[in-house]
Order: sequence, then C-alpha cells, then structure tokens
Amino acid sequence: MIITIDGKQCEAQYGEYILDVARRNNIFIPTLCHSDALPGQGNCRLCIVEVLEGKRRRVVVSCSYPVKGEVEVLTNTEKIRKMRKNLIRLLAAAAPDSDFMRDLQREYGLEEEERFQVYRGEDCILCGLCVRACEEVGIYAISTVNRGITKKVSTPYAEPSAVCIGCGACARVCPTGSIKMKEENGRREIWGKTFALLPCPGCGKPFITREELAYVQAKTGLEPAEILCEKCRQKRAARKMRDVFKDVTMK
Amino acid sequence: MLMFKRKPVKTVLVCCGTGCLANNSRAIYEGLKKRIEESGARASIRPVTKATGCNGLCERGPIVKIQPDDIFYCGVKATDVDEIFERSVLNDEIITRLLYLDSSTGERVKSHRDTEFYKRQHKIALRNIGEIDPASIDDYIERDGYRALEKVLTTMSPQEVIDEIEKSGLRGRGGAGFPTGVKWKQCARVDVFPKYVVCNGDEGDPGAFMDRSIMEGDPHSVIEGMLICAYAIGAERGFIYIRDEYALALKNMAAALEEARKRGFLGRNILQKGMNFDIEIVRGGGAFVCGESTALMASIEGRVGEPRVKYIRSVERGLWDKPTVLNNVETWANVPVIINRGAQWFRSIGSEGSPGTKVFSLVGKVKNTGLIEVPMGITLREIIFSIGGGIPRDREFKAVQTGGPSGGCIPKELLDLPVDFDSLTESGSMMGSGGMIVMDETTCMVEVARYYLQFLAEESCGKCVPCREGIKQMLGILEDICAGRGREGDIELLLDIGATLQEAALCGLGKTAPNPVLSTIRYFREEYREHIQNKYCPAGVCKELTVFYIDQEACRGCGLCAQKCPLGAISGERRRTYTIDETKCIKCGQCRDTCRFGAVKNRGRRHDNNH
Ligand SMILES: Cc1cc2nc3c(=O)[nH]c(=O)nc-3n(C[C@H](O)[C@H](O)[C@H](O)COP(=O)(O)O)c2cc1C
Ligand code: SF4
Repeated sequence: MIITIDGKQCEAQYGEYILDVARRNNIFIPTLCHSDALPGQGNCRLCIVEVLEGKRRRVVVSCSYPVKGEVEVLTNTEKIRKMRKNLIRLLAAAAPDSDFMRDLQREYGLEEEERFQVYRGEDCILCGLCVRACEEVGIYAISTVNRGITKKVSTPYAEPSAVCIGCGACARVCPTGSIKMKEENGRREIWGKTFALLPCPGCGKPFITREELAYVQAKTGLEPAEILCEKCRQKRAARKMRDVFKDVTMK
Repeated sequence: MLMFKRKPVKTVLVCCGTGCLANNSRAIYEGLKKRIEESGARASIRPVTKATGCNGLCERGPIVKIQPDDIFYCGVKATDVDEIFERSVLNDEIITRLLYLDSSTGERVKSHRDTEFYKRQHKIALRNIGEIDPASIDDYIERDGYRALEKVLTTMSPQEVIDEIEKSGLRGRGGAGFPTGVKWKQCARVDVFPKYVVCNGDEGDPGAFMDRSIMEGDPHSVIEGMLICAYAIGAERGFIYIRDEYALALKNMAAALEEARKRGFLGRNILQKGMNFDIEIVRGGGAFVCGESTALMASIEGRVGEPRVKYIRSVERGLWDKPTVLNNVETWANVPVIINRGAQWFRSIGSEGSPGTKVFSLVGKVKNTGLIEVPMGITLREIIFSIGGGIPRDREFKAVQTGGPSGGCIPKELLDLPVDFDSLTESGSMMGSGGMIVMDETTCMVEVARYYLQFLAEESCGKCVPCREGIKQMLGILEDICAGRGREGDIELLLDIGATLQEAALCGLGKTAPNPVLSTIRYFREEYREHIQNKYCPAGVCKELTVFYIDQEACRGCGLCAQKCPLGAISGERRRTYTIDETKCIKCGQCRDTCRFGAVKNRGRRHDNNH
C-alpha cells in the first residue's frame, strides 16, 4: 500500500513500522533508543510523528506504530518539533555530562539549561539499549532497577555479576558512552568485574575474555583457532572475497 | 401450602469487615451467636463483610443489622449484646439509643436506608455487600446469583450476550470508560485461540477501596461476570489479578472460586452445558503502574510489570499474545445484573453517555465518608452536600479531587457538574477508578499538585523519557514554588511540559500525570501567582510562605490558641489579646484551627519588608 510521509508517496507493507518506511525513503526521523539490531523499544519518544487517519489526528511513536492503512504521516510539524525540543531539554538535564546530549542540545537550538534541575555527573539517558543487547546475547547480567525517577541500569544488587561474560555488547551499543569498559595490559574491566583477555589466534593481540570465548564456541560450534578478533575477521573475509573474485577480475 | 403464616425468622447480621473488626465486632458476633444458639430462638446469625466504610458509616461501627425489619444499630459494644438479644431478637423492640443519628437532620433513623446518605444511592455493583456472607455461595444464589449464567447458557447465543452488553452502554469502571460490549465484540471477532478473560483487581489508587470491597464482600459477582464473558468470547481460562496487600480479598476470592467449582459453576462442562472455564488468582506486586492493562498482563506472564507500546490492542494480542478481554472488578460485578434485568433497565439509570452507576470512595473534608454508589449524572453538589453531609466545621468547600493520583481538581464553580465519564474529562479531571477527595479552604492547591506529582514520580515505571524526566522536572518546579523559589515563567513552563507528557508519554500514567498540575493551574492560577510573585500561600499551608499573626481587633482573649500551641509561641493575657512570637512559630496551624473568632491570620512573606 501507499502511505504519505511529509507529502511524499511511499510504498509500505502492512504491519511495517513507520520509521522503517521513512528511513527507506530518506526521510529523517531522529531516534535515541533505536538501533536497527534492537528496534521498537519506544522509550525515548524522540521519533514521535503525527498520523492523520480519516478525521483522527494523533501523535504516535514511529518506531512502533505499524502501518495498517493508507495513512498520512507528518514527521516535522510545529507541534512535533516543540515536543521533541522538550524531550531533548529534559534528557539534557538528566544526562548533562554526555557529549552526545550536548550536541543534540545545540542542534535543536537549546540554550544552557537554567530552570530544570540538572543532574551533574550523569551521562546515562536510560535508553535501555544495553539491557536489550545483553538480553539478546542471552546473558541477562544487567537490567533496569528501581522505578520512576530513581530508575537506573545495574547488575543485581550493584555487585559484580556472576553471569557477565565481559563481551562488552552493552558498551558498544550505548549511544552516550556511559558504560565504562577499560582495556589495559591484557585485561578488561566492566561492571566492576575484571577479565583476563586471550590472544587472537590470527594476530596475537588480546581481544576476548575466556567466558566469551566459551560462549561463542558453544553458540557457533567453532574451534578456538577459528575465533578471531574483529580486524583479523575482516581481513579473512576480504581474502575470501578476493579468492572468489580472482578469476572474474583476471578475465 | 402453609395454613398459617409463621412469624418471620430473624436474621442478625454483624459486620466483620476490616474497619468493624478493629472495633471488636468479632466479640459481638460471638456473643450474639452464643445467645441465639443457647436459647434455640428462631433466628439465624451471620457475619458479613461490610468492608471499610462501605455505607460511609464505618467510623460508627461496629454495625449490627436485624432483618427483616432492617433495624440498623451502630457503635455497638460487647456490653450491648444482651440487650439486643432480649429486645430486638426475641422481641420486636427497637433500642433507640443504638440507632444511627443522621447528621443532616439530627434525627435517629431506624434503617440506614432512611438516611440522607443512603437515600440517593443506587446499588448495583454493591448490591450484595453487607447483605450476604461472602463465604456462602448459597447467600449469593439466594439473591439471584448465577441466574444470569444459567440464562446465557440456556437461552442466549454468545452474540446475543455481546449485543445485550453493548446495548446496555456499560463502560469500563477501571478508568478509561471504554465500552465493555465493544471490547467483547472485538475480541469475539478474532479467530485465534486460546482466549483469556482477565479481572483487574490491582486497585493502585491510594485510598481507594471500591474493588477491594467487592472482592471481599461479593466475590461471586465478579466470577459470574467473567463466566458470562468467557461464554461470549469462547475463553476457557481466566485470571484475577489482586494486589498482595489485599489479604482478605485474596482469601475470600480463593474460597469463592473453590465453592463455585464444587457447585459446577467453574471447571469442565459447566451446568452440564458443555462449557469449560476456570479462573486462577494472580497476586500483584503492588506497584501503581501494574494496574495499567499491558503492565498487568506482563506481570501475569511473569515479566517485569512495565507497560508496553499498545498500537495492537489486547483484544487481538493480549496475554501471551492471545486475544484477551480485561475488565475492572466493578465492571465485572455489573454484568450479571445487566443480563438478568436487561439492557433497557440498565440504560434507564444514569446518564445518556454513561448509563448505570459508579462507586466512589468519598473521603477528605466531608462529614460522611465512605463508599457510595450513585447513578451517573448526579451532580457533585448532591454527592458532597447531600450524601456527604457537607464540609465539617462549616468551612468553605474549595475543590474536589477526582480520578486518583493523576486526576484533577474541580472547583466550586463546577459543583453542579453532572458526574459522568465525559464531563469529568472535559473539566480537566477524570473518572479514574472513582476516588473523590473533598478539600476545604485550608487546602493549598499548589501543594496538592506537588503532593500528587511526588506520588507519580515514585510510581512511574521510569521507562519512557517524558514521564520519567518530565514528572521529575515538574515536581522540582512545584517544590520551588511551594518553598518560595518560584520564578516568573514557571506556570507557562509547567503547561508546556505538561502538554508534552499528555501526548508523548507511553502509557496512561504519563499521559495523565500532568492532570493535577494542569487542572489546578486552570482553576486556581491566582493561587499559583500569589505563591510565585507575592511569596504568599493564601491557604497557609506552605510553611515558607506563611506567617501567622493574631488580628488584635478580632481576638477576644480566650487564650485557647496559647494552650494549643505546641511550642508555647503564643503569649498574652486572658480577656485582653494574644500575640504570636514568629521566631518560635513552626506554622503548624493549630492556633488557626482552634480559634473560634477567626483571629489567627496569615500575612505571608510579602509584607516582611514593611514590617
Ligand atoms: C497507571 C494506570 C493504573 C491503572 N490502575 C488500574 C487499576 O488499579 N484497576 C483497574 O481496574 N484499572 C486500572 N487502570 C486502567 C486499566 O489500564 C484498564 O483500562 C482497565 O482495567 C480496563 O478495564 P475496564 O474497561 O473494565 O475499566 C490503570 C491505568 C493506568 C494507566
Ligand atoms: S508513561 Fe510512565 S509509567 Fe507509562 S511507560 Fe512511560 S515511564 Fe512507564
């Protein structure tokens, strides 16, 4: 079916999310808690748009609103811009120490906050991506704890997690760099737990924790010798590619 | 055929609800029971759960009722047992001393039905509360219980049941007022099985106890309502979600389910009509947000009780992604009556857009407090001044807060507002689950807004940004205003952030959270301005903005205030005048509450400069 986004006709499947349709059509809708691998959380509400359906006009979050009819979508009305600005202002006060939020603040023409309570020292925006990432890995080492204004991300009882494998998926997905992962002298420190790193069979650089290695082995059935660091993996992929294309290019 | 008319058997009902039990009603029950049994009198006795204040008379408990004469004794003591037995059980005498004193008329009335408090009420959802022993399924059956179930199973098709409920115009009593029949119809249409029926007994509003009363006092009415829906949509499993603190509700509901199973109303091949349905109880963890439908279902599934994005409705994908009908306790309790008496009858009660009745818990600054069930469309004035008996101590009515923590405050200009779903929403408040808190002139509306936001800040699940961060900042600003740190532009900022919450929050909690603020700004903006610009709290509640003094003209020198002041801050001479030492005063307001001449006044901080 065809839906209209900001006046542009876009082809959409039944049940597809508006955000996905918009992105495919190069229409930009800002997001914070969305990642292509972990979509549809609907926490940050930055991706709000207005949907016109018959006589009804309402505000929905585009990352979770499925296309069910030939609706008209407006992503950048004055109302939406105003609310987005408020959301960013609220988040910037909650996580003023994140460069990410400071950039957004500037981008939306917001001045230095002077009325809201600003929580100095905080850089987590509680987007929830880290928790989702950990769940996706299947480990469940971290979760959000407490509710309301005291909510935060933590390991159980804020103690080093027994199940954490130190893979760092949470830190990688964090948009504000709030999750601290330190790597030094062949050791990795995350969530108050220190892991020894094992060397890459390809280049010899320490890159993986013993726990994660065991996890990857169990999941993929690969031998330890086949489990390489990111760089070596890319190199190997490129080499394979060359082998495949060799004959073609020689002709 | 009986050749002669026998003297009717007396039934003695002793209230054993939470409130009356605290006043030793168990001893009264045991005492009367012993006397009746020993004497072999033609009388029966049963304990009833007239849950806290359900007749608004709880503060006058323990309550003993004698049928069939409907004699209503309150404030009964264990020492009254003998007299009650001799005079009112064995004989037909009335003990005037124990009758209820109607505060509106100053007269003693024989039956609670004759009181102003009761006369304007209309009991449908609460029809059996206090009339039956919740532990007795026979009591329930005697009062038409399970007749509606029998009726639908023997004479109605599922479609006819849905049509009847839809025609009745019944709207959900849990808050949003969604048409119940439409919900059932939408669920029945989905061709996916299994389907589920859920009862929302979370009742998270602090101070609300309508659903608890029903679950404690008439559990079978909820079960029967759910059975009728299960038949209509083709469900075989149901869940009743009850908050963990509701110990008596949990106990009575579990016992009722067991009884219903024994009698063949639940289980397999119900009433030999081939229907299968059973119900499990799920204990709720207690967070306010768990009452929200998607959070509640997550909680039943064993996940964290957080709301989820709801663009696909529960009637299509609810519990375990299966079609689900979820209704509130009070909604369920209405269903059997509608089936028995018909949609037409139900529509004749209440208003056009909101047929039927609604149970409210009337509390705060009113003379009669407690649970009331009134026809929709009744005015706030009737509820507060006729049923509630008006404001104590002849103070002035200021506002009534309806709809629970995220409801709004309605001012005296709107006292003639008919109470129904739509008019309450239009007024900037809402029906919610039926909380109604009356406030008098000594209430500060900014402080009220701050109080509710504080509650919501703690109860928001914290998942989405507008709710978590928006409530936090709105609360901060309100705290500032109450502490004399309010700034120019605060009112506009509160309105702006509030509007964002209303539209952008994920669930109903965040969307309605600004109501306490927006409604008080709408009706009491001047009070906000006084706080912000003049650093003055007109109600004398915000301590930083209150300075009490004694008006020397008005003071008669009675000295009561000086006696009451816990800090000895008031001095003076009897029959002359008194003064308050501001350096000692902690602004507790005791002196103002005591003074019969209105001589204690508040001048706020605004005059500090020229003092
Ligand atoms: C924050 C929040 C709390 C709620 N709490 C309750 C509750 O305690 N009991 C209830 O019946 N409904 C509650 N609701 C409303 C439910 O989501 C749902 O609309 C209702 O139970 C549906 O039943 P009904 O149509 O019979 O009213 C709450 C809603 C929100 C947003
Ligand atoms: S609106 Fe509040 S309670 Fe509802 S999902 Fe968002 S944070 Fe949670």
